[in-house]
Amino acid sequence: MEFAFPEYNLRLMAPEIFLFLWALLIIAYDVLTKRKSETTAGYLALAGLMITGLILGFTGTGHGFGNMFVSDTAAKFFKIIFLGSAFMAIGSSFGIMREKIVNHRGEFYGLILFSTVGMMFLSSSNELLSLYIGLELTTIPLFVLAAFFKDDKLSVEAGIKYFIVGAFSSALLLYGISFLYGLSGTTDLVQMKINIAITHLTFQNIGVILILAIVLVVAGIGFKLSLPPFHQWVPDVYQGSPTPVAAFLSVGSKAAGLIAFAKIFVNGLFAFHHPDMAPNDWGRLVALLAVAAMILGNTVAIRQTNIKRMLGYSSIAQVGYIMIGIVAMNALGMAAMGFYIFAYMFANMGAFAAVAIVEDKTGSCEISTYSGLARTSPLLSATFAVFLLSLAGIPPLAGFMAKFYIFAAGIQAAQHDPGLYWMYWLVGIALLTTVFAIYYYANIIKQMYFAKEPSPHKVTYNFPALTVLLIGLAGLFVFGIYPEPVLHFASGIASSFGIIP
Amino acid sequence: MEGTANSMSEYLSVLIFIFVGIGSVLFTFFLSRLIRPHNPYKEKSIPYECAELPIGDSWFKFNNRFYIFALMFVIFDVEVVFLFPWAVAFGELGLFALVEMIIFILILFFGLFYAWRKGALKWV
Amino acid sequence: MVPVSAYLIVAIVLFGIGTVGVLISRNMIVMFMCIELMLNAANLALIAFSRSLEVMDGHAFVFLVLTVAAAEAAVGLAIVLAIYRNRETINIDRFSILKW
Repeated sequence: MEFAFPEYNLRLMAPEIFLFLWALLIIAYDVLTKRKSETTAGYLALAGLMITGLILGFTGTGHGFGNMFVSDTAAKFFKIIFLGSAFMAIGSSFGIMREKIVNHRGEFYGLILFSTVGMMFLSSSNELLSLYIGLELTTIPLFVLAAFFKDDKLSVEAGIKYFIVGAFSSALLLYGISFLYGLSGTTDLVQMKINIAITHLTFQNIGVILILAIVLVVAGIGFKLSLPPFHQWVPDVYQGSPTPVAAFLSVGSKAAGLIAFAKIFVNGLFAFHHPDMAPNDWGRLVALLAVAAMILGNTVAIRQTNIKRMLGYSSIAQVGYIMIGIVAMNALGMAAMGFYIFAYMFANMGAFAAVAIVEDKTGSCEISTYSGLARTSPLLSATFAVFLLSLAGIPPLAGFMAKFYIFAAGIQAAQHDPGLYWMYWLVGIALLTTVFAIYYYANIIKQMYFAKEPSPHKVTYNFPALTVLLIGLAGLFVFGIYPEPVLHFASGIASSFGIIP
Repeated sequence: MEGTANSMSEYLSVLIFIFVGIGSVLFTFFLSRLIRPHNPYKEKSIPYECAELPIGDSWFKFNNRFYIFALMFVIFDVEVVFLFPWAVAFGELGLFALVEMIIFILILFFGLFYAWRKGALKWV
Repeated sequence: MVPVSAYLIVAIVLFGIGTVGVLISRNMIVMFMCIELMLNAANLALIAFSRSLEVMDGHAFVFLVLTVAAAEAAVGLAIVLAIYRNRETINIDRFSILKW
């Protein structure tokens, strides 16, 4: 048998390799030092993420490992989001480190970095095998992180729920992948785009298997993305797991699911988006799930009394909005998806950082804790209010521009193609649910600013958490007023997926 | 696919093999039943533990520590799954694959090193 | 030669058993085993497709899935041990401090 050596192009993988070695280094540092300082491991992790970002800046574009690994605009854009969300999650974890985790600081940071490496591999994968491995490398460290307070009943329960759901969904995804592989005879996504269409034209009776494959893959990644009806784990896991981990789950893991979804559907199943392909049309299936996500997330969030659960339901709703960009599947939609997740990163990581600061002080995540907080802790209340307003989509913050581009992409798709007339409905429902969203976000702001009694608590900041708050604040204002550079960068995502504007 | 008759005869040989396999086991059981003495008493039905009388039930909870060792075992157990195809194709792959495999094993050894430093290898 | 559809039917049956097991079982360990069954059903399907299409990708896929399954089992059992230590049960119905 002849072995064709693939062209390796290891330099394209430099950021991942570096970050992986750095994670090992942090763990080794933690087990080797006798007298542990409280913060060194955390600062090491932050430094590692920054250096990785620099290396990423110098990494070129191209293919490697026999087309398994690709470094293009989409991959780079999402890698920036993963690194950013890991940075902000670690930055907001210093308070918890001091209080609750004494013996396992190195493992905590090491696992977050491992998960980040998995996400980065995932965003660079160009075929199903490396995509699946990347997704697993992302989630398996997160199982451990969710259950990290192993003596805390809530945390362990969150861990076990996340584990069962995660393992189950990965099995569903794998089975769906095996069908896609069987139908196309390749794991390469670009090749698959052609092969599946040919198989579909040649054999009329593959419909059932293709539907099964689409449903299984949607379910498998839907669990990671928390699209209803696969969302039940989200509020439980967010409430139980450590706050920085919940933050990382809500942004990093979700962005990873998003890029995996985009890779399989926009790339591999490109031909099966249109209603002409019914019943193999995944566009309408995903649109239905997006509608369910927006309605369910925004209405159930109103009734929550725990802030982490509320943010969990809000993140379910946000994914609904993001999916409009994917379903629209035009150049603007892809760019809007990228911009949305970028803005969402600043707002949601910032909001969770604020929650973590309050939790460190009061030990509670109930919304009632925030009552009257504006009088004792004005800086925290103001930044938290900005994050919530951005999540709700109030101008001039970045969250507003993100929603604007998403809705514009949906309307553009509907105008462009009469077969996609239902996109008008989708955008209409999205606009309607935004109103609900404003209600429950504003409710917290009302609690903080218009309560009769001032809060008995006055929060204290540590330096990294304060930095995270300020990064979030700056990001939301700068990219809300001046979104063009990010949008320009994000428009490269469309060409990475082969969508020509 | 070859002719149907051909594949049918392949099935037939498998079928014969299964019957012979089951039959030989049953035959030896039957044969030993014919020639062995029949003398049951109570001690014969208790679990054999190196000629000691067993203490307690055999359905008890195992110590959690076994789990750690099982985990260590799994690391190197799965490693072999990757070593084996590499070893088979070693002639064609050459030096580059050797270096790759050494890196792979070093990463696994880091796991072992971590377990050792954390005291997981000690039976306390 | 056994047709590929036979393998696929076995895979579907295995996958069905696994899925139903995860959904109706109340014991964590049984749920794990059912998830492993689902992964192995997918493995079987991958190998069957790989043989019938005469491409090697499926074989490589299965090796890596085996590793993933081992890693998942290790992490999962660790979490089960942790929850058994502070709850004294592995019945999933009892894990309801967090409710939706």
